[in-house]
Amino acid sequence: MLIGKILGTVAAGKGYKVTFAPTYGQEKRGGRTSCQIVISDSMDSPVISEADVILVMDEKSLDDFENSVKKGAYLVVNSSMIKKEVQRQDINVIKAPMNDIAEDMSNPKSANIVALGTVLKLIDSVSYDEISRHLEDTFKGSAVEANKEALQLGYDFVKVK
Amino acid sequence: MKVVYKKPEVLTDVSFSYCGGCGHGIINKLLAEILEEEKLTEKAILVWPIGCSVYADQNFNVDSICALHGRAPAVATGIKRSLPDNAVIVYQGDGDMVSEGMAEIMHAVIRGEKINVIFVNNAIFGMTGGQMAPTTLLGQKTATSPYGRKAANSGYPVHMAELISSFEGCYYSERVSVNSPNNIMAAKKAIKKSVQYQMDGKGLSFVEVVSQCPTGWGVKPLDSLKMVDTSMTKIYPLGVFKDSGVERN
Amino acid sequence: MGEKIFIQGNVALAESAIRCGCKYYFGYPITPASEILEYYAAKMPEENGVFIQAETEVSASNMVAGVAATGKRAMMATSGPGISLGAEAISYMCSAQLPAVLVNVMRPGPGDGDIVACQGDYFQAVKGAGHGDYNNIVLAPYSVQEMVDFAPLAFELADKYRNPVLILSDGGLAKVMESAELPDRTTPDSNFDWALTGARNRKANVITTCAKSPKQWEGYNLILQEKFAEMKDAEQRWESYETEDAGLIIVAFGITARIAFSAVRIARENNMKVGMIRPITLWPFPEKAFKGNEDKYFLVSELNAGQMVEDVKLSVNDKRKVSFYGRLGGMTPTPKELYNEICNLYEKHMTCTNV
Repeated sequence: MLIGKILGTVAAGKGYKVTFAPTYGQEKRGGRTSCQIVISDSMDSPVISEADVILVMDEKSLDDFENSVKKGAYLVVNSSMIKKEVQRQDINVIKAPMNDIAEDMSNPKSANIVALGTVLKLIDSVSYDEISRHLEDTFKGSAVEANKEALQLGYDFVKVK
Repeated sequence: MKVVYKKPEVLTDVSFSYCGGCGHGIINKLLAEILEEEKLTEKAILVWPIGCSVYADQNFNVDSICALHGRAPAVATGIKRSLPDNAVIVYQGDGDMVSEGMAEIMHAVIRGEKINVIFVNNAIFGMTGGQMAPTTLLGQKTATSPYGRKAANSGYPVHMAELISSFEGCYYSERVSVNSPNNIMAAKKAIKKSVQYQMDGKGLSFVEVVSQCPTGWGVKPLDSLKMVDTSMTKIYPLGVFKDSGVERN
Repeated sequence: MGEKIFIQGNVALAESAIRCGCKYYFGYPITPASEILEYYAAKMPEENGVFIQAETEVSASNMVAGVAATGKRAMMATSGPGISLGAEAISYMCSAQLPAVLVNVMRPGPGDGDIVACQGDYFQAVKGAGHGDYNNIVLAPYSVQEMVDFAPLAFELADKYRNPVLILSDGGLAKVMESAELPDRTTPDSNFDWALTGARNRKANVITTCAKSPKQWEGYNLILQEKFAEMKDAEQRWESYETEDAGLIIVAFGITARIAFSAVRIARENNMKVGMIRPITLWPFPEKAFKGNEDKYFLVSELNAGQMVEDVKLSVNDKRKVSFYGRLGGMTPTPKELYNEICNLYEKHMTCTNV
């Protein structure tokens, strides 16, 4: 949710038509959540048929969303939490051990920011620098540098493009 | 010639729509007198219920609204919050308040709304044709308790003045009656005091008026006056249940 | 104007309502509408306004009526079950001619249902949730920007006709964040000659919904009907997209219109002559949008079992040409799914080259 909001806020700030659509479980707090982000030049459906990039953080999400990736597009898998193999052959799969990367930098809570870094490599509408600057507004004190580092590590991990 | 009695000017020329011997007319007139004596005719907003007093808005030269059944305290809440300096006076019967509107009156007193509530308890639904109310006495025959109210089926009479007095949001709660000149004077004093409390910005002030309904009770008007003493006030004793104005002195 | 922020639908509506002078809010917690309640709870102290978390939506909506009777702007936002409870107050406010704004953030029913996007309360909204002969304007936003824009519009229309206005949102629009331009603050005129303020230097004002006699009440009802007819004629709002050359027109409102919009664009990219009509007022239903289009085929799409279909059929006076595609229970079609349905119909009714 947090990284979706960061991405959405920065893209909206650049003038794109952005829709950030969160989905919560019935219980709202503590349950599994997901969000869809549409970044477009025109008013689009907030509901996505197929995504250009999907990030899955756990195995259940992989099951739920593997088939929603557009042919030839990207599925980013948190390999720290997902041991299962991706079935589809017609998409690009990027595996990044996001929790392990975060733990290696002694900041296990920043796995989501590592994830955001990996995704940034794959989208054109928002740049790494723009998000990095935004982190300064989102976090306070020592968390700013820690999260910027997490973003960098995630970004550097992905070798495409 | 000395004028010994005249109709309060705040009352219109429209006749009251109550049955002969009904207590509502007396209570309405007391309210009219109090509004004049307290110089509140330009400040008062009356909130009428659904029940026998549903047409009372025609009788007063005062801003009035007739709320839906039971909702008068909620409507009055909106009005008082919007116009805190006005005198917002709710008038409800027992069917309206204690049945359909129990949640509204309870939460108005829970919030301590700075309004007056005049509650007319005649132990029956008058307007709809004399059905059982939550205040109907045990054994009392009504259109929907033709064999007399039985606790096993319909529970027990509700004592609103006592109940209201138990809430911190209640500033004043008293039960009065209007079946004799003395009782009418006492009722006027109670209602007047409750209106003054509102103008002093105090919490909810509640006056329960035990009233006679000869038509609904199926008795002659004079007998209904006696029944207030012989049955009604036995179950609904008159008295002050809370008066924070006195307690604090 | 000019201030554009990335904001959640519910919060945007609440902030916009405050900016247009609605400083009285009454509500009860219910997902997916609660952010509006919480926003008001947070903002009213600094605004010198009133926020009450009422005991029920029954009470909350009657409190709204109370404030409206004094001429000021008041609002209650809830979801379907809360509108069911507030329905008596909607009927009451229409009868008493009280202007106020109610918001239904629709969730799937019937019964308790779920808390996500749904449009199953269309009938409840446009055909009358409460009792008696009444109508009220229903505005259906389809973006966060419209959640913003429709708050002041709803209050203006409410004041204009002395009638409550319903904003019909849903669990999807309520929760999404989008960029929206918020309006400047305005102070509405609340000096109405009918309002209850205390009868000083004027005749007493009386607000009642109680008939004095059948004859009197018929007369009063006819006055109300005249007003509803005027609203029906003057307040139809809609958006048409590429309908002129279209053989098939999608009809969708609210969040479904967003999905349909994307589906229509896919169809156009594939050289299919498909257009769209998006009703913005659901009551009055924009019959005028269908003038001149009666001989075309229509596909109504909604997140319900096909409730708006009736109004589309009435508008084109030809039942055979109106089909329906919807999802139920909180499921939402994707643009592709809807596009596939467009293709099916297109093939059936029109010479189709590019499907």
